[in-house]
Amino acid sequence: MSSSGSKSFSAALKPGLRRAMEALAKQFRGRITRVDAPRPDEVYLDADPVMAGALCSTLYKKHGARLAGVFAEDARTSERAFLVYQIYALDAVGGFVVVRLALPPEDPALASLTSAVPAVNWQEREIQDWFGIRLLGHSNPRRCAMHDDWPPVHPMRKDFDLRATLPPFRGERHKFREVEGEGVFQVPVGPVHAGIIEPGHFLFSVAGEPVLYLQLRLFYVHKGTEKLFESLLIPHGVRLAESISGDSGFAHATAFCHAVERAAGVEIPARARALRTICLELERLYNHVADIGAICTDVAFVTANMHAMRLKERVLRTNEHLTGNRLLRGMACLGGVRFDFDAGRIGALSGLLDELGNEFNDLVEIIRSHSGTRDRLETTGVLSPKVARDLGIVGVAGRASGIDRDMRRDFPHDFYDEVQFTVPVFSEGDVQRRLAVRREEVYQAISIIRQTLNKLPDGPLRTEVREVPPDRVALGFVEGWRGEIFHWVHTAPGNRLARCKVKDPSLQNWPALSEAILGNIIPDFPVVNKSFNLSYSGTDR
Amino acid sequence: MNIDITSLIAQTALVLLLSPLLSGLIASLKAKLQNRRGPRVWQPFFDLIKFFRKDMVISEHASGVFAAVPHVVFATALMAGLMVPLAWVPAPLQLFGGALALVGLLALGRFFLALGGLDPGSAFGGMGSSREMTISAIAEPAMMLAIFTAAIAGGSTNLSQIVMAGDGHAGRFLEPAHTLAFSAMFIVLLAETGRVPVDNPATHLELTMIHEAMILEYSGRYLAMLEWAASMKQLVLFGLLANLFFPFGLAPGMLPAAVAQGMGWLAIKLVGLAVAVVLVEFTNAKLRLFRVPDLLGAAFVLATLALVSLFLFR
Repeated sequence: MSSSGSKSFSAALKPGLRRAMEALAKQFRGRITRVDAPRPDEVYLDADPVMAGALCSTLYKKHGARLAGVFAEDARTSERAFLVYQIYALDAVGGFVVVRLALPPEDPALASLTSAVPAVNWQEREIQDWFGIRLLGHSNPRRCAMHDDWPPVHPMRKDFDLRATLPPFRGERHKFREVEGEGVFQVPVGPVHAGIIEPGHFLFSVAGEPVLYLQLRLFYVHKGTEKLFESLLIPHGVRLAESISGDSGFAHATAFCHAVERAAGVEIPARARALRTICLELERLYNHVADIGAICTDVAFVTANMHAMRLKERVLRTNEHLTGNRLLRGMACLGGVRFDFDAGRIGALSGLLDELGNEFNDLVEIIRSHSGTRDRLETTGVLSPKVARDLGIVGVAGRASGIDRDMRRDFPHDFYDEVQFTVPVFSEGDVQRRLAVRREEVYQAISIIRQTLNKLPDGPLRTEVREVPPDRVALGFVEGWRGEIFHWVHTAPGNRLARCKVKDPSLQNWPALSEAILGNIIPDFPVVNKSFNLSYSGTDR
Repeated sequence: MNIDITSLIAQTALVLLLSPLLSGLIASLKAKLQNRRGPRVWQPFFDLIKFFRKDMVISEHASGVFAAVPHVVFATALMAGLMVPLAWVPAPLQLFGGALALVGLLALGRFFLALGGLDPGSAFGGMGSSREMTISAIAEPAMMLAIFTAAIAGGSTNLSQIVMAGDGHAGRFLEPAHTLAFSAMFIVLLAETGRVPVDNPATHLELTMIHEAMILEYSGRYLAMLEWAASMKQLVLFGLLANLFFPFGLAPGMLPAAVAQGMGWLAIKLVGLAVAVVLVEFTNAKLRLFRVPDLLGAAFVLATLALVSLFLFR
């Protein structure tokens, strides 16, 4: 479906996306060297790297696009270039424009977009660390994804061996910015924490109790996951995707499957789409219920948490009954799902929904009627809509700060275009609203599962995905419980991947914490942090 | 000051053994209310034994103060425990000033505890010490006023005298001064024992801690002493509340039968207060840190009103 000119676009292209592409082609005549539309909602543009800034500004201003992801690929052997991809999501028309920029193999460099789009700050630094592509004009070009104690290697380049052992740490450790002033103290927290959570370092600069500045340092558990995908056969990648972030196992695996299925051009049977939707909503249910309880624990209202834990446990046990695993592991597979729901399982699921509907109401009422908890949650940790937009905040945190986006509605995947649901949005952006978004989404999830069960189609459980042809690219996406998850694949010969890019919503949302905590006192940090509940593992990969 | 040796030994044993049990009882009751099985009531004893057996890890930045703190805190808490009549009157230790000395002893313990938090130079300890001092600056006056209300009613600042004077005057329970002073003292009790809504003894979140933050750097034997001292302080405050405001059932001397009866009454009063504290913890969230002074301010106002009404309704 490739067309090298700018006149004719595939008729299959979504109408809104086609109009946007025609306008772009007209404006950047000659600067866009190639247009490729492999799927109705996914267009690739090859552009001159010097035009990246202008393209970005046009896409933002004229087409309401947002830069949802930036990543690189080492294509020095096949195309004698480093490729940088910029994924623009056009939420209003339900399509993606991927801008592909080719950089020379020697001393690759690209103008940074961070000053215009602060949302890509960490992603650009990740490219810089992993590929050695310099981002010119970046406002904070220090190391991010690889700590300062790494030797000067670029592990995502193809000539870096996955099994290479590196010399032990030498040189200086990371220097945090210093905050000075009378009565200003630094409070370092982490990287090892008291709870059973993963490592992350938080450096607070405080004057008494109020927080003046918060610096985050993550990537302590970087596992080279994206590199690892390149060493696996594609079907094995599903299991790896499942383990990227433990609480979003099914969502990540499904996003990976979406990408591969789109690359292979495979249609998924209706029953599999419905079962995937049910599992995605079950994952949302148990995480949201647990988070609501955990937020209450952090203000020492343990009573509510004990009820929430009980409900979560009930969902987990139903998960095990349905799929054989409490966290839905092993359920996802290429071309569909692994296990069917028989009448008994469907009965158990309906039973859970009935019970949960009532009991969750009780929990909501316990929290709502508790003035002490409300006092702690309202006006705490405010993330203003403007800051949220600038940082490109996604998912639950975004919807609590007035960002009305949800992949399930804007880019309906799986069974979501066949069920009715609303997307809760609040503009206050405090802890209370992040809890409220979760509360409403629990009700919506129960309703979505009910509707799906009522419409549950018969038919096969999966389409067989044979060897995926090489040199295909595809974007897979899922609205996980935390927010949008992207997996982008570039296939290689032998049913392998040349590159798999994973983007967890946590990577996008972590910087919001530094903004939301400003003006709050330090003992309120745990509850603000919990209200975002971001994944370390999903960020570090 | 003549010390009754039997009474001294008996009360020392009582304070040492009863205080962990009271902590265990509160933890266990709380768990039951939250639908959890919870720890056994004597779990704190096992914890203490475990801590005593463990090695200590001491920060290289710590000075001699760090090592002195557990001993001072433990000694002051135990001495305070000997001054409060628990199951029998008079209490074995009657220092000058009675109630004043008790408040002073508790303040001394707290001062050293705060020093212990600051000494190793860790950020959490400093935060805990600073918060503890902020809170005690308001809790202490409220506590003194509440005790003074009882002292004026009893005609003495000697705690045993107050209790003995109050015994047998059942009508006093309905006097406004009595009720107000009790309410003030109850709020102080919540603050001083680090309970929700002031502090959360069960949290693992260092940033929100007050008392736990100060003792974060302690381990092994020192930690055991500090935990034990905290339990004893809790018993002191519970005993104070129980016997100043419900002064009946105490044994008048060391006769075995009377002491047994006194112990029975003490147990009933402590369980009653523990249930009240647990209910407060169960139904409340923690206050924002800057709201805590409001709560303690309320305790102070209640105590002042108690004192004033004592003269108005005489």
